[in-house]
Amino acid sequence: MDRIDKNRRKFFQTSAALVGGTLFYSIVKPFESNAQVIEENEDKTINPLWGMGVDIAKCIGCGKCVSACKTENKVPKEPFYFRTWVEQYTVKKDGEVKIESPNGGMEGFEQSVPNEDIFKSFTVPKLCNHCTKAPCVQACPVGATFVSPEGLVLVDETYCIGCSYCIQACPYGARFMNPIKKVVDKCTFCYHRISEGLDPACVEVCPTEARIFGDLRDKSSDLVKFLQKNPTQTLKPHLNTHSRVFYNQLSSEVK
Amino acid sequence: MAKLIFRLLLSFVVFVGIFMVIQDFLTPESFGKYGHYRANAIDDNKLVTPQYKGEQKCASCHEDIYDLKSETMEFDEDEYILHSNLKCETCHTPKIDANTDCKVMPPKIESTREMCGQCHSYQVSRKNKIKMIDLADHNVEKNCIECHNPHKPWIE
Repeated sequence: MDRIDKNRRKFFQTSAALVGGTLFYSIVKPFESNAQVIEENEDKTINPLWGMGVDIAKCIGCGKCVSACKTENKVPKEPFYFRTWVEQYTVKKDGEVKIESPNGGMEGFEQSVPNEDIFKSFTVPKLCNHCTKAPCVQACPVGATFVSPEGLVLVDETYCIGCSYCIQACPYGARFMNPIKKVVDKCTFCYHRISEGLDPACVEVCPTEARIFGDLRDKSSDLVKFLQKNPTQTLKPHLNTHSRVFYNQLSSEVK
Repeated sequence: MAKLIFRLLLSFVVFVGIFMVIQDFLTPESFGKYGHYRANAIDDNKLVTPQYKGEQKCASCHEDIYDLKSETMEFDEDEYILHSNLKCETCHTPKIDANTDCKVMPPKIESTREMCGQCHSYQVSRKNKIKMIDLADHNVEKNCIECHNPHKPWIE
């Protein structure tokens, strides 16, 4: 009789101690930061937050941005590897929407529908949106793609295992498998150029200034002025990706 | 506690310990600095050599052409930008990287009707954005540059 009672008492004491300890820990944990020493950040510079604006009212669909990107970033020349591409939307008078992108729009477009049948037509350049809540970053099983402190979504080529989950995850179709490097490739906003104060190659060559690049944190930048002047939208806002490419005069037909 | 429980716990602790040592050994440095990724990869992405040099580099040698291109068209007291805002490298695609002198491989272009047509051909999507021309109609036998200087495209 005695031995049974002592073990039962010990069991209750141990489990009460564990539960009490866990409860105490869960109450104290939110206040953990109060106890931490705040170390002085030697690097006082605030990182820029890069973004891009696309003005559909100015884009003429010449495709110079597509070939400039391929030249600058040594993207394979085959017509299914693009870091940026242009799509042509033709809305006919009977309501049918035709979407074309011959070789990504690199050599420009041709009008395939006769003038009298067209209700409206426009060209939409597309690229990686560098989403703040990127689905591709979430999907990567190893941590080979990430949102950098400056807001860019970059790929770590030495870490990528080539599983292509991120290519499937991207709702904008911005990523592709580089056949030479055998890892995932995508637009980097020409990080090697913007970190030197230059513009990305596509922004540099655009003849009508339809692409605007800048720092969202810099109130005097062209991009912030573009966002203030124009009512802009992002692509697929219902997916909550918090994309940082803003389109002016984006029509509802754009996928 | 019972001998079996003690041994199980001990082997559990030992295996977890070995695992943590191996993991620490295999994780690359700078991993986890800003998040679940190798922070040095940010600098790796900067290692690309730029190809596009910018207008001012072209203007430093070809100042006369650059000044000609910068002129705007005056018509009826209105100023028309035309090609004055157009960057050199939009048409003259660079052939070598930015650190090399462009005399090594000059960015020559084939001035064809199709080349001008890439921007100026008639398309409904371009209405009110750029001056358009119907290539099938306008001086079909000639090359555009026979009448229009691409650096000063209007005809006085």
